[in-house]
Amino acid sequence: MHEFPQRAIVARARAFGLLLGIGIALGCSAPESPAARHAKEPDSLKRGKGLFVGTCGAYCHGLQPGNRDAPYLFDCEWKHGSSDQEIFDVIRAGVPQTRMQGFADRLPEGDEDIWRLVAFLKSRSSC
Amino acid sequence: MTGWRARWMFSVVCTLASAIACDRESATPSAGPTADSAAAATEDGNASPTEAPSMIELLADLPALPTHWVADPPVAADAPPVDDAMLRSPFADPSRWLHYGGDYRGYRHSPIRSLNPKSVSKLQVAWAMPTGTQQQFEVSPIVYGGVMYVSSSYNRLFALDAKTGELLWRYDHPQPADLRACCGPVNRGVAIAGNSILMATLDARLVALDRRSGALLWNREIIEYGRGYSATSAPFVVGKRAIIGVAGGEYGIRGFFDAYDVDTGERLWRHYTIPAAGEPGVETWAGRSYETGGAPAWSQGAYDPETDTLFWTTGNPAPDFNGDERAGDNLFSNSLLAVDPATGLRKWHFQFTPHDVWDFDGNTQIYLVDVEIDEQKIPVVAQANRNGYFYLIDRRDGKFLRATQYVEQMNWATIDADGRPVVGPDVWPTEEPSHRVCPGNMGGMNGAWSGSFDPARGLAFIPAIEACQHFVKGIAVYSEGAPFLAGTPDTIDAAARKAYGHVSAIDVATGEIRWRAEDRFPMMAGAVSTAGGVVFTGNLEGEALALDADTGKVLWRFRMGGGVRSQPIVFELGGRPYLAIGSGSWATTDAFLAGLDKIPEGGHLFVFTLPES
Repeated sequence: MHEFPQRAIVARARAFGLLLGIGIALGCSAPESPAARHAKEPDSLKRGKGLFVGTCGAYCHGLQPGNRDAPYLFDCEWKHGSSDQEIFDVIRAGVPQTRMQGFADRLPEGDEDIWRLVAFLKSRSSC
Repeated sequence: MTGWRARWMFSVVCTLASAIACDRESATPSAGPTADSAAAATEDGNASPTEAPSMIELLADLPALPTHWVADPPVAADAPPVDDAMLRSPFADPSRWLHYGGDYRGYRHSPIRSLNPKSVSKLQVAWAMPTGTQQQFEVSPIVYGGVMYVSSSYNRLFALDAKTGELLWRYDHPQPADLRACCGPVNRGVAIAGNSILMATLDARLVALDRRSGALLWNREIIEYGRGYSATSAPFVVGKRAIIGVAGGEYGIRGFFDAYDVDTGERLWRHYTIPAAGEPGVETWAGRSYETGGAPAWSQGAYDPETDTLFWTTGNPAPDFNGDERAGDNLFSNSLLAVDPATGLRKWHFQFTPHDVWDFDGNTQIYLVDVEIDEQKIPVVAQANRNGYFYLIDRRDGKFLRATQYVEQMNWATIDADGRPVVGPDVWPTEEPSHRVCPGNMGGMNGAWSGSFDPARGLAFIPAIEACQHFVKGIAVYSEGAPFLAGTPDTIDAAARKAYGHVSAIDVATGEIRWRAEDRFPMMAGAVSTAGGVVFTGNLEGEALALDADTGKVLWRFRMGGGVRSQPIVFELGGRPYLAIGSGSWATTDAFLAGLDKIPEGGHLFVFTLPES
């Protein structure tokens, strides 16, 4: 009869647990949002503001709060999700049946510019 | 463990970990059943027979609401077709209101005397009608043959008995969901010619309907709306031509106005407001900026039958608030154009705001007036421009005669002897502006509403905004069909509730302000005046107002509900005078310009009359 030594079981369980932790850390932990990266760069934030002011902020989303049909975007109230990725997705794809057009690849530096917009929105928000 | 075993183990663990860790992130709340899951509820996709149908399901089974009712039998069939003589002398019969501007000169002044300072306090509601639509209700109705033709936001067109308000026919123009309307789903009215009612649409089409039945006669695309175009103004009929310009200055369009045959819808000519490569004026645009230069033509013109000249005005260059890539004067943005109505060819031009970076569209209402200057009678075009100055331009040759300030707060520029602005050093948009610029980007006066001119008094009555702004410069990104503004006005006065408004009575011969009637909020409704000495307008608090034409004193007010953004008209039926005025505004502009936050929504037309004597 083959006996399974208790020490071996403990050792294997420890190895399993260690590998599970490593797996989560290496394979599955959420990487830093590109918006968070841009938020650390003053030039990126400046460009994000320039893009917002130039494309989003005149007759749609304002710099001042108010009763507009396009939401004020600096009060931390997000209609379509507050994560960086969700905000990115709204800017990229738009919101059907509203005046919010998707910007897709229209910005000069593509997705990076959208992430800069997300970074600017988050940085100026006051909750 | 052997190597492969270790790799297999790592793979299994990682997969397991992924399932645990990543599933947690993807667990978002359900947005309700998908089409597939709903269909899977029963085999045939219908609700289970054991379950009572929900109200939503019952409603879903109802047929779609009609969007086009025709009148059968036809109405006002005994009224003759509207001809050229009627359009030239629209007030020969006071039961009519045939032009957005009242007449070809743009006066919006009625010969009716029974609406006067003594009578207007007795005005009472004759009838009212809801439009069923939201946002700005900016119409100037047309009245002919006892029928009133009223268009609302989103291009609903109603034919109503002008005396009783009975609905005679209705046409709802089908609209796509992705309109390119920068500033609300606006329509400012229709035109009448022959037996046709003509309406321009938000999806950049021109439609003609039989005035008697509402039957659709033709439906013509002006241009593909998805490129950033729309049409919001009432067409302007000269002879057999319906002239209509496009909006889209916030989308980097190439502006133009067209003439269409009123009978067939055939396009007769197109006048581009920005020159093409090689044409005179293109040198006023740096590089290829003229290709996306804006200069829309979204408001009404005027017509001088004596010289057979059409006068049309143009809007801002694009992008609005950053002119770095379009160095130069940017002709023919913000200009007054004199045009041959038969060919669309330009006779002369005058540019009000060269190289505009404040969104000062030059397209507010124009009045063809004869004034005496230095003991000489001179035919002029008079205009309270959005940039805060009241201009007189010689209508024979486009020569600048005079500009006088009509707003109280002004610091963006002075005007030199040639009519060219001398721009202040601190007023250009910057990334971090701190200088308060006056007037703000919406004016002053604005092409979205009208004024009136009383020729007997020599006074123009101008509703206007007093609100200054910071102009913030942004990055210019052009993409066809997307907003192209490259900056924004920061509405500091509105946010601080410092914005207000007034109607000014301007002596056209001298530029002197005779009186001002102030209001707590910007005044953004149109005006109509009467020979009896009354000016009708409205305010953002939803009041219809009657002002004394000699003093500006408020003689009568009536709260209609929504803010007033419409162009009132007056007419006479059966010996009684009527005033028609719409209420219904748009939260976005009210918040943007006035800081208002309590705004009743929905369009409503009110018609008032005096009691039978």
